[in-house]
Amino acid sequence: MQKKKSRPDHRVYYWMILPAIFIYAALYLYPAISNLRYSLTRWDGIGTPKFVGLHNFTNMLTNDDLFFKVLGNNVRFSLLVVTLQTAFALFFAIFLVKNTRTTIFLRTLYFFPTILSSVSVAMIWLFLYDPNFGAINVGLKKFGLNSFALNWLGSENSALYAIAFTQIWFHTGQMMVIYIAGLQQIPLELYEAAEVDGASKWQQFKSVTWPMALPTTAVVIAYTTIQSFRAFDLVYAMTQGGPNNSSSILATLIYLTAFNEFRLGYAAAQSILMVITIVILTLVQRRVIRTKYGV
Amino acid sequence: MKTKRIASFGALRLGVISTLALALVITPLGVGMAASTPSFGKSCPTEGTSTGTSSKSLQCTKNSSGKLTWVYVRLGSSTLSPVPALSAPDGTIEFWHWRAEDKIVLQSIIDKFEAANPGTYINQVIMPSGDYTNTAYAKIRTNPKAAIFATFRGSQFAQFAKGDMMTDLNSQRYTKRNVVANGLVAGQYGGKQLGIPYQYLFNNPVYNTAIFAKEKWALPTNLTTLLSWCKTAKAAGYTPLAWSGGFRPNAGQILNSMLMNSAPDYATLQNRIEAIDTGSADLTSPWFTDMANKYKKMADAGCFPENATGVTDAAALNLFATGKAAVLPTGSFSMGAVKAINPDMSGKMNLFSLITTDDKPQYVGIHNNTFILSVNKNATRTNQKIANAFISYLVTGSIAGIYANATSQHVNVLDVNYTNVDLLNTSAWQAKKTLLAPRFLWLNQGVRDLVEDALIAIVGGKPVDATLADFSKQIKQKLSA
Repeated sequence: MQKKKSRPDHRVYYWMILPAIFIYAALYLYPAISNLRYSLTRWDGIGTPKFVGLHNFTNMLTNDDLFFKVLGNNVRFSLLVVTLQTAFALFFAIFLVKNTRTTIFLRTLYFFPTILSSVSVAMIWLFLYDPNFGAINVGLKKFGLNSFALNWLGSENSALYAIAFTQIWFHTGQMMVIYIAGLQQIPLELYEAAEVDGASKWQQFKSVTWPMALPTTAVVIAYTTIQSFRAFDLVYAMTQGGPNNSSSILATLIYLTAFNEFRLGYAAAQSILMVITIVILTLVQRRVIRTKYGV
Repeated sequence: MKTKRIASFGALRLGVISTLALALVITPLGVGMAASTPSFGKSCPTEGTSTGTSSKSLQCTKNSSGKLTWVYVRLGSSTLSPVPALSAPDGTIEFWHWRAEDKIVLQSIIDKFEAANPGTYINQVIMPSGDYTNTAYAKIRTNPKAAIFATFRGSQFAQFAKGDMMTDLNSQRYTKRNVVANGLVAGQYGGKQLGIPYQYLFNNPVYNTAIFAKEKWALPTNLTTLLSWCKTAKAAGYTPLAWSGGFRPNAGQILNSMLMNSAPDYATLQNRIEAIDTGSADLTSPWFTDMANKYKKMADAGCFPENATGVTDAAALNLFATGKAAVLPTGSFSMGAVKAINPDMSGKMNLFSLITTDDKPQYVGIHNNTFILSVNKNATRTNQKIANAFISYLVTGSIAGIYANATSQHVNVLDVNYTNVDLLNTSAWQAKKTLLAPRFLWLNQGVRDLVEDALIAIVGGKPVDATLADFSKQIKQKLSA
């Protein structure tokens, strides 16, 4: 007689993931749902939230120039940071992909800013950008480039770009490390074959490195986009969004709306639109990369 | 009966004569004692000079015949002497505040308090000022141990008061007898004394007395002389006002002085600010436009640094501390930071009257009362008692003196012996006609930020009318949301 094989009790697995689900629900799901609920209210953080339906959203889309100004800032900031940070990270990674003493030293050097706190980075760059005594303007004036010595953080035309440059300096090393990990996975045979075929360095990059690094690029771009939307600390420590909100990004706007003006309901609605913007941008990026490069 | 009447008349006569005799002896003695006030010499040479903030402070004032004499200045709301600190029950409480720079001196005071009250313990919980309003509010509200906490005047105090988190301290004896009465206003809300404003600050610009003496400059006394002085100072190679246009919290300090003589009286000023705060008036109103035009005139006269809108707080402080700027337009609270950069500045600073009218000024300066100490309504009864005892301890003259001299801040407490030379030099300002900082009358922080941003933009070179119209629109949109 054949012994009946006992079936494993799968229910135990559900019990095992329960703590993780609980933590996720408590720390992510509940706040997200609460945020959705508060976005439909007018609330100063003290009294009882007053239900206002979709008023916060309609007001933001029809009667809030500041929101669109800041959204525009954020998109420009993200495009600049994503493009330049990715390009620089790839550039450095290509040159530092081999493991030699010099490259390891340089990798450490380029990665170094990443381990600094964002406030420290902000302080360093505040000093460098000082329009009257900062090293950048002093240096430019020394070489007779007075017209390039700008009021970097004090002008509406340059503040956002100055912070974007700081952000790029701050995080390029981190992305470079991700790229190096990706580039080291590319089989050396492909380069050897290309060399045998007489491909130049540029052709090797175009036909081997770039296509093979695309999956890593997709990760770097997605991560950098999200990072650029979350660059709150740098913006807040350097300009608090000024002058005249010219360097404000959505994260600083939401913070100030919630905790400076105590309009928590409105800030909740702003944060929902911020999430929607990030999702749209990330989907567009993914679609472009997929259709163009098949990754 | 008759004999008795005669005898009682005699006794009365004797009593009157004795009283007169005693008065004749005591009066010169008292006058002599007052005249021999140790710090200020026998005669008072300068009108307005004060012996400080004692419960029996003297001030140098002209009498009816025009002669300078010392007279008593009553700074407390009671004529009675200050009371000693209350004793505290056993227990442990938390003291929440944002002043990390005061941690050491406050800890030394707490140590003394704990030694005087064995079994009582106070732990400081210090949060960064940027996070204080939002984070501390939520945490203190639900923490029965957070029995004592500080708030700053204006939107933050109003926010905490609206949350019904503070007990009424009006009935406490120390409130009336230990605290400078003028300064209590900042801790009042809805007819209650919800906090004791501990610091007595002057949001007046600070000037370098050595530079003024060296250059033989007279202090400007009105708008015309101010603009002319700016040109002179700039021509001499100084930055007239080390104004940090890149850091709104300090850039906005000058707004106090710009507002102080801009309205016929305080009530009108309050109404006008409230109207902008609630959206019933625009920045384009003639009153505000006139004030904004004064910013423009000052910018055109070279009062502000080069690239003013990009000057950070640290850069402005350095300009002043290193003698490159003559005036630091922030307040007395910056003197400690200036001395930390350049200890040689000790004794070379005084307060500058930034008068921006050519009419007779109503006020010569600004004061503010902040670091408002409150007892948490949600704390347990015992913890509230400890908090109350600790506040009573902080407002005794000797303890407040420790805090004041260590932090280079005047305090809103009577009978403080200021030993810090800069505090001594400026303590006379407590008896001058100064206005409670009007900048904090804006209770909507978002609106105030926009108001200050508009003025920063004007200093940065933007046209006045267009800028005010643009920012008025932003305020309207903010308030309609």
